[in-house]
Amino acid sequence: METLAEIIKFINFSFSYSGSTTPILKNINLSIEEGDFVLLVGPSGCGKSTLLRCINGLIPHLYNGAYEGEVIVDGELVKNKNVNELATKVGFVFQNPENQIFMFSVEKDIVFGLENIGLERNEIDIRLKWVLHALGIEHLRYKPPYELSDGQKQRVAIAGVLAMKPKILILDEPTSLLDPRTALDFILLLGELNKKFGLTIIVVEHRIDLLTNVANKIIVLDKGEIVFKGLLKEIIKNKNLNLYGVGVPPVIALQNNLRDEDIIFDEVYLNVKDFAKEIKRRLI
Amino acid sequence: MFWLAEGLVYRRQDSIIHSLDPRVKLIISFSLFILSLFSSTIFEFTILLFAIFLLGALSKVLRRMTKTITFSLTFVIMIFVINLLVGYDLIFSIIISLRFIAIISSSSIFFLTSSPDELDLVMRSLHLPYDLIFAFVTAVRFVPVILLDAVQIIDSQRSRGLEIEKGSIFKRIRNYIPVLIPLIVQSIIRSEELAEAMESRAYGFSKKRTSYYTLHFKRRDYLILCLHFMLVVLFILLVYFFHL
Ligand SMILES: Nc1ncnc2c1ncn2[C@@H]1O[C@H](COP(=O)(O)OP(=O)(O)OP(=O)(O)O)[C@@H](O)[C@H]1O
Ligand SMILES: [Mg+2]
Repeated sequence: METLAEIIKFINFSFSYSGSTTPILKNINLSIEEGDFVLLVGPSGCGKSTLLRCINGLIPHLYNGAYEGEVIVDGELVKNKNVNELATKVGFVFQNPENQIFMFSVEKDIVFGLENIGLERNEIDIRLKWVLHALGIEHLRYKPPYELSDGQKQRVAIAGVLAMKPKILILDEPTSLLDPRTALDFILLLGELNKKFGLTIIVVEHRIDLLTNVANKIIVLDKGEIVFKGLLKEIIKNKNLNLYGVGVPPVIALQNNLRDEDIIFDEVYLNVKDFAKEIKRRLI
Repeated sequence: MFWLAEGLVYRRQDSIIHSLDPRVKLIISFSLFILSLFSSTIFEFTILLFAIFLLGALSKVLRRMTKTITFSLTFVIMIFVINLLVGYDLIFSIIISLRFIAIISSSSIFFLTSSPDELDLVMRSLHLPYDLIFAFVTAVRFVPVILLDAVQIIDSQRSRGLEIEKGSIFKRIRNYIPVLIPLIVQSIIRSEELAEAMESRAYGFSKKRTSYYTLHFKRRDYLILCLHFMLVVLFILLVYFFHL
């Protein structure tokens, strides 16, 4: 594999919101490569949302505070670029889709961002059709937001962001308002976007088991510091994530317990199906 | 305010008037509004109101228009009585009341036949600052959302034993405090999230914001507009030059 480009880099970074003295993020050193699918986890209040805000420039441009060190996105210092300039590099999908849809129809909402960056009619037309197709929401094109389900709203929210053709997509607990089935579909969609378009994705998600098949990297944050980062498979295998309030998927927990009983598997099986196959192979 | 809302809120419908270019609807509605302001005889108001109700009938919103008027009747009667009391004669008091009715019903024509979407387009075509248009659009967009918030808060406070419809008027007003405070807090949080999302979608990115949507007059729009202006001129001629 060729060397991948570093698309996000934190260097000795610390931040505290103005009015509070305790740093929310401490001494963050991090690099994320283009095409990575990163899962960001950690207990409530550890600073996950804060970290995401630093990537698309909401910090320091919308939230003030003590900002130390550097954050570099796609080769540029975030603090030198406005949030809305960064919007064409970094797409941000928030927890509540309701508050990200501004217009009276899906189409108009997707067009909103494209008008903001001053695209011509033709280009808007092309992108609109592309994004509606890519997310499978052509049938929702003329619907008003109040006629959409939560899952559909979240797709529309992504569409509005994706139409700006960002290289990076960050999502802050995007499935927390969705039922399990819709949440899984949504995560699979993210996996598809990651593979098809090489989109770099960072997602905060509590239900790790949803993501074990699509994410390749993980960052574990605790009290504003990175405690683990690296390949998802290895971290899940080698580290005790339970200590950080991270719900380890039962299939992984089972393998860990078996290892404690000296039943060793060569590999980590991330889903039940593969693990069952392996057990069957051994038993026969 | 509910009577106003009922008569001013758009509902999806089909009619000859609904399908016109929103600018045409605005011009028709606005010119009738202006004529109502300047009219001063019962004859003029008879013609104006006839025209307004004809338009209401054509756009199938007559029932909701009359509803608005019936609701505003209290006001009309008040205006009428006050005018009489302060010493104006009967005719003058009637004219003032008719003017009030004409103003309300003429302006409701536009709002009853144009969606907020069309209003957005009209404002764009008038080259109003986009900040203003965006403020309007999000306000309309989030009214139902916030109403829903309010309903949920009322329900949850009721389930905790709050009795909203009990007691004297003052007590009842005070009962709404446990509803209003959470509603305000929730709306502030919502607006903060909106601000984050707006920025992240490049709102205010460049001076040269483009517009994907443009309005185009169709032949029918021109025809209706011509007809409208002919009638307005005829009306003005009749009234001001022939003193009918
Ligand atoms: N706008 C703000 N001003 C001041 N302090 C804030 C602000 N936003 C968050 N904080 C504080 O920063 C800390 C980290 O918050 P953050 O929202 O980043 O955590 P989180 O990991 O996303 O938590 P959760 O899982 O609950 O969403 C918290 O202690 C929080 O109180
Ligand atoms: Mg958070």
